[in-house]
This record gives sequence, structure tokens and C-alpha cells, in this order.
Amino acid sequence: MKLRNYHWKENVTGYLFILPQFLMFLIFIVYPIIEGIRLSLYKVQFNQETFVGFDNYVTLFHDPVFFKSIYNTVIFVVFIVLLTVAFSIFVASSVFDKNAKYVSFIRGSYYIPVMVSMVVMSMVWGFLLNPANGLISYAAREMDFSIVNLLGNKHTVLPVIIFVTFATNVGQAIILYIAAMIGVPKDLFEAAEVDGASRVRIIFQILIPLVKPTTIYITIINIIAVLKIFVVIQLLTGGGPNNASVTMMYYLYNNAFKYNQLGVASAVGVIMFLITMLLSIPQLRAMFKGK
Amino acid sequence: MLQTKEKKKREKYDVVSNVIIIVFALLNLFPLYWLFTSSLKNSSDVIKMPPDWWPKTFSFSNYIDVFNNQPALRWTLNSLFVAGVSTILVVIASSMAAYAFSKLNFFGKNMLFVVFISSLMVPKEVMIVPLFRITQDLGMVNSLWGMIWPNVATAFGVFLLKGFFDSVPDALREAARIDGAGEVRTFLQILLPIVKPGIGALFILNFVQVWNDYLWQLVIGQDKNVKTLMVGIATLMQDLNPNFAYKMAGATVAAVPMLLIFLLFQRYFTRGIAGGAVKE
Repeated sequence: MKLRNYHWKENVTGYLFILPQFLMFLIFIVYPIIEGIRLSLYKVQFNQETFVGFDNYVTLFHDPVFFKSIYNTVIFVVFIVLLTVAFSIFVASSVFDKNAKYVSFIRGSYYIPVMVSMVVMSMVWGFLLNPANGLISYAAREMDFSIVNLLGNKHTVLPVIIFVTFATNVGQAIILYIAAMIGVPKDLFEAAEVDGASRVRIIFQILIPLVKPTTIYITIINIIAVLKIFVVIQLLTGGGPNNASVTMMYYLYNNAFKYNQLGVASAVGVIMFLITMLLSIPQLRAMFKGK
Repeated sequence: MLQTKEKKKREKYDVVSNVIIIVFALLNLFPLYWLFTSSLKNSSDVIKMPPDWWPKTFSFSNYIDVFNNQPALRWTLNSLFVAGVSTILVVIASSMAAYAFSKLNFFGKNMLFVVFISSLMVPKEVMIVPLFRITQDLGMVNSLWGMIWPNVATAFGVFLLKGFFDSVPDALREAARIDGAGEVRTFLQILLPIVKPGIGALFILNFVQVWNDYLWQLVIGQDKNVKTLMVGIATLMQDLNPNFAYKMAGATVAAVPMLLIFLLFQRYFTRGIAGGAVKE
């Protein structure tokens, strides 16, 4: 009896300690997910909700702008993630075994743009790319490039946004890779050195395979981050020219807060939610492996 | 003989790659250099082509204008409040939960932890419509509290701090218990001081994240007076005012606090970010 009482007490203590976090979790994560799925099946007008079944999804799949937003989002995800992983491996593998001051200089200079937020960076890039008085447009004019307005051209707008997003966010991946590579046991490099392996071989045959968990982690968090890309679109292009740079998140936002199509916006949200859940399965598996 | 040849080749790759990396690092910092210097130019110099690489005359009028013509001070205070209060609440809620998940035994603990951590992968942006409606029902649209509460519902802190609690030996907690300390006292006076570096990392990472948050603050803060700094300066960008120096001054005001935090607390970033990653 006494033992049972003790167990009961320990259970209650545990629950009390997680209670604040758990309440937040229920109100602001679990409930919105359920409510979002429900709303996606309704037509919402002011305070009136009418059940429409899958009509919102049907509307979505008849909207060419929605397809454009999926296409653009996929392009962004593929290119930004590939660039980020490749470039951050290149940077980290070149600097991780150098002296501490140099490593922290490199880490800092790539991380500072991450720190100062996408809003600020979008504003600076917007200024640099401004067709009338931006530095980049001026350089393009001086070098006789045919396209000066890079953001106003449907062929150049995606590459420019890919580059801006990549340049602003790559610092985080670099920090993670440097930390992972510093953690690789030194004797492996010594052994390789004795065998006369070149730096490139060490990178490809020791470093890259050993930091694979970090690569998986970086890939997944970056896919999810790029999926919800919004600020840079709103501030640099507004989805233009002619929807050439509209993304899923921007499409969701417009439907929800501009066109007042809450049901349709919720349906986009549900689709994005399913994509993120599917993508995160391997990551969650890795996190709980051995637990 | 062969070995020295190999060594030379290796050094060559190393030299070339490091030169490329330094050049890219400087290029990477260039937009920020351009931001600061442009904000100090006057409205005609900022659009002059070919450009002045360094301001000819330093003018602080753009900064004065931002604070006089726009409620930039209000925005800054709003951002400080939202980021500060969110972060304090996150630290309280997640250190409690992380302690329980690490050191206490209760029914369903592992399952609950898995559910918590899975929520890390759901960006709150995709649920922005229902989240907005809940906030509306709670009467917190156009209120700083509406920006704060949803931010507290993040499992990142639990995940980060659990790692720190796990590294504290159980014996320490048991000793405290034998000496007669209750659970709350053990948590507050024995364990919490030990995981201070983790709390520091969480504090800074969370503060920066909320400070730089945009979409949610944009949606909730519609009145000019409840706008946060990020949302406020973004409205400058959409402003038809052609004076770019003025816009750059606004962006600088939003960027400087983060740069200061980074320079002061650099080590926390490395530790916190790497601590949040998977380790095998």
C-alpha cells in the first residue's frame, strides 16, 4: 500500500512538472492541427461555417497559381538544400582543423547574416537589386548585361531568390558541420595521413561518411525551413512577376489574410502539414534510435 | 619521395579552398557593410552611380527621421517585450518539463516525450489560420500577448535542456533528496544551477528567434502601435518613399541588437545550435 502510494506521488509530481508545457502544447499545437483539418472541410464566411467536404481541395487543384506555388516551392527546396549541404560541407571540411581564431572568424562571418534576420537581409538585397538605383543593377548595366531588373524577369527571379535565401541561411549548416567534424576522432586522420591520403580523399572517405547524421538533420530542417519560405517573397517580389515566384506559404497567406478564403488556406496548411510530417519521419527515427 | 609529393598536393587543395572560403566570407558580409554605410549617406548620395564605397559625409538624419516619423521606439520596445517575455516563459516551462523527462519517473513518460519532440517538426506557420482564430477567440489579436503565447509552445527548449539534465548524475539528486530537500527545492536549488549553460543557450537562441520572427507578428499586430520592429521596418520597405538611406537606417536599427548579442554570446550559439542537433 505504501509503495503504491509512493508511485502515485511520483506520477503526480512528474505530471505537475510537465503541465505548463503540456498545456501550451495542447492549446497552440494539437488543437490548431485538429481545427485546421476541420476548417479545411468548411467554407468560412465571417462567422458562418458551412460544411463543403473536399470542395476546398478540389478548388485548389483547379487553380493554376496553386500548381505554380508547388512547382516553385519544390524548385526552392531542391536547389537551396543542395547548395546549402554542398557548400557547408566544403567550408566546414576546409576549416575545421585550423586554429581556433580562424575557425571562429569563418563561423562568425557566415553566421552573422543568419542572426540579422530574413527581413533585414531581404531589405538590403532589395536595395542592391533595385532596378533604378541598386548596386547590382548598376553593375549589370556597366557590364552590358541584357537583364537589369533581375527580380522583374520571370527567368531570373527564381535563381536570385534561391541565391539570397542560400546566402542568408548557410551559416547555420556551417556551424553544425564544423561542430560535427571537430568531434571526429583525431586518430582517424592520423592513420589516413600515414597512408598518404590526400585532403580530398580524407574529406570524401572519412569526413562525409562520419557526419552523415548531421547531413540528414541539416537536410530535413532545411527542407522544412524552405517549405515555409515567406519573408523574402513578400518583401522582394510579392510573388511576381505574374506569379512567377509565388510559394505555397505565400499562397496560403494570401488566401487567408487577403482573399479571406480561410477554408482554402486551411487546406493548403493541411497539405503542408502532411508533407512536413512525412519528411520528418527519418529524422525522428534517428532521434529516437537507441532510446 | 612519394609522400612529400602527396603532401604538396594536399596543401595545394587546402590553400585554394581556404582562399575561396575567405573571399566568400567577405562577400557574404558585403550586404551588411552596404546596409550600414548606406544608412549613413544622405538621400541623394545613396543612389549615386557610380557609388561611394564609403560615405562622403556622415549623416545621422536618417536615423533621426526613422525615430521621429515612425513609432520606431515603440516598435523596439514591443520587440523587446515580446522576445523577452516569450523567452522567460519558454525557459520556465521547458526547464520544468525537461527536468521531469530527464529525472522523474511517471506513467507514459517516454510516449509523451516522443509526442512532444515530434511537434518540433511542425512549423507553426502551416497552422496559421486556426492559430489566428484561437488567438482571436482569446481576445489577443492586436495585443503583444497574442504574439507571446504561441511562441511558448515550442518543444525545442525541452529537447535542448533534457540533454543538459541527462548529463547531471542521478546521485546528486538522490543526495539532495536524502538531505530532506523536496522535489521543487531539488529542482530549483540543486539541478537548475548546474544546467545554467543550457539555460543561457536556450535564452539566447529563443530570444533571437522571436526577435526575428515575422509572419506571426505581422498577422497579430495590425495597429501601428502594436507592431514589432521587424514588421514595422518591413512596412518601410513597402513604403513608396524613394529614400533608400532612410529604409536602410530602419533595417540597421533592427539588425544591431542581434549583432551585439552575437558578438557578446558567440559561444552560446555554437553550443546551443550544435546541442540541438542529433548526436550518434
